[in-house]
Amino acid sequence: MSTQTATPPPRFGPAIPRKRSKKRIGGWRWAGRGILAFLLLFTALPMAWMIITSLKSQLAALQYPPQWWPEEVTFQNYIQLLSPNNEVGQEFLQYFWNSFYVSILSTILGVAVAVPAAYAFSRFRFPGRQFLFFSVLLRNMFPAVVFLMPLFLLMKWLGLVNTHGSLILTYLTFGLPLSIWLLKGFYDNIPVQLEQAARIDGATRFQAFFYIVMPLSSPGIIATGIYAFIMAWNEYVYALTFMNSKDKLTLPVGLQRFFAEYATNWPGLMAASFIMSVPVVVLFLVLQKYFVRALTEGAVKS
Amino acid sequence: MAEVVLNQVVKTYGNVYAVNHVSLTVADGEFVALVGPSGCGKTTTLNLIAGLIEMSGGDIHIGDRLVNDLDPKDRDIAMVFQNYALYPNKTVFKNLAFPLQMRKLSKSDIEAKVLSAAKVLDITHLLERKPRELSGGQQQRVALGRALVRDPRVFLMDEPLSNLDAKLRVQMRTELKRFHQDLQATVVYVTHDQLEAVTMADKMAVMNGGFLQQYDSPKNVFDNPVNMFVASFVGSPAMSLVPLEVVTHGTDVALRSPEGWQLPLSAANARKALTSTTAKVVLGARHSTVKLHTTQTPGTVPGVIYTVEPTGDITFVQVFLGASVVIVSLDPSVIVEPDQKVWIEFDQDKIHLFDGATEMALAAA
Repeated sequence: MSTQTATPPPRFGPAIPRKRSKKRIGGWRWAGRGILAFLLLFTALPMAWMIITSLKSQLAALQYPPQWWPEEVTFQNYIQLLSPNNEVGQEFLQYFWNSFYVSILSTILGVAVAVPAAYAFSRFRFPGRQFLFFSVLLRNMFPAVVFLMPLFLLMKWLGLVNTHGSLILTYLTFGLPLSIWLLKGFYDNIPVQLEQAARIDGATRFQAFFYIVMPLSSPGIIATGIYAFIMAWNEYVYALTFMNSKDKLTLPVGLQRFFAEYATNWPGLMAASFIMSVPVVVLFLVLQKYFVRALTEGAVKS
Repeated sequence: MAEVVLNQVVKTYGNVYAVNHVSLTVADGEFVALVGPSGCGKTTTLNLIAGLIEMSGGDIHIGDRLVNDLDPKDRDIAMVFQNYALYPNKTVFKNLAFPLQMRKLSKSDIEAKVLSAAKVLDITHLLERKPRELSGGQQQRVALGRALVRDPRVFLMDEPLSNLDAKLRVQMRTELKRFHQDLQATVVYVTHDQLEAVTMADKMAVMNGGFLQQYDSPKNVFDNPVNMFVASFVGSPAMSLVPLEVVTHGTDVALRSPEGWQLPLSAANARKALTSTTAKVVLGARHSTVKLHTTQTPGTVPGVIYTVEPTGDITFVQVFLGASVVIVSLDPSVIVEPDQKVWIEFDQDKIHLFDGATEMALAAA
């Protein structure tokens, strides 16, 4: 039956319908491009201004009308921040390392917990599954600040205040719900027959997961990893509340304190902000194709 | 190769019996089709044999081993899935090699076995491709190759042809049958398409509602269905079933319709009809055993043509006998019209009689 309708007559080819559709949506396409261009400017201009300012001297940065392009390009701000030989650089690098350490650990732990959790939610039917699955989201229904005091008291009780452990734990509670939900969508779309086939082919349940399912879900794992990393990297309020010794601050907090001590050094602040955004941008550039695949594949049934 | 024995196998989900005390034996080298409508428990039965789901009760033997508590990997079986379940991130070669790798064969052994399986299935030129670069028929072959490469005791197949287009399905059906003949493999094959079961299987197990209805050769199932379900499921178009009532006139026995016409029964059929638990009897007739007359003749019953469906070499005519439909096959040269009044003649030697209450086939006492 299906053979009769399967193939359209080949004589006309796909050219005719495509041409027509292009014409029809031309106007909308240009409108869409206009909106995208506007959004691009909206998001890119502040960053461009950040970079431009970071290349100015303090004096040039405060001029009015502003120098749209620095008359004298200087890398002094970057050199100062990145050299371990002066006090400013030492502090900055310490913050950078703290942020990196906290973010990487919350990412690794987050993925290590989210992957098996999401897999279990996707594959197994157990009592309380639905309840657990939605209660995972409970945390995300409230603004983060609501949990500031309770978590602080909890950390105090655990003796974790002013340790990076408190931040890692907190970031896990933020990141895990979305990671689990995202990954579950991913596992839902991997046909269970693949694992069944692997188990019949001689794999244990774990081997079937490790050799067959894990590689297929790597885009999802990478995406959740990026998400967890960026969230931990940028977090401010909890880092501000939980950390009080100067050598344990993370970048977002460190930057603010650091530059408030001197009269605000705008070019220096901008340079530090730029350096702070580098890991995130690099992560995205390297892994963006996985990220896009994860968000689309997880959502659309193949 | 090995035989497969199911003994009182049960699978329940809560209070629902997905598989209800099914017992059957698949002899060594036999091709058995599990057939039935969706939700009849056939795929569940297959998954129980594979060990992919846990049994609620009963025993399964593969060869001389009781496999109730064995993992799928230890049952020495191979399975072909409806969606093929090829590993999408592996090349065809690696797909075929995976079962061998899991069994820790040496690299050279793996290569030799994969190549020989690929040769048998004529997929050697596809070995470096990924599954998504293959056509449906090619994927089907690769899936078969992955089952074949390991020389398992039993092949399990879960509707392996249903994702193919009609033409390819017929072609692959022939090839599968040939493949079974050459390998003398034990095959358990699940399908909802009774035609596949009839054409390929040595024996067919018809299931409905979790129960095994009948387990016999396709010919016996076709000729002697044990109940109304099997009668209406096997054969295309389905057997026509007409609910009637037994009436006796002295020693003569007839079937009476709600419309009032009567069909006298032969001596043999009369004996069968009288074993019915109630007066209700259902008459079953295959389209090829029913004759259509355009004029009233003795021994016929009146009806009205509902539709005429020419298929080329045979024309199927649906005739309403009161509220029930009888399908008649005609030579295309016979011209009949919808709403035409006609008379139906049943072949007394070929009709089936079922107990109207229990729906079981009636046999002579």
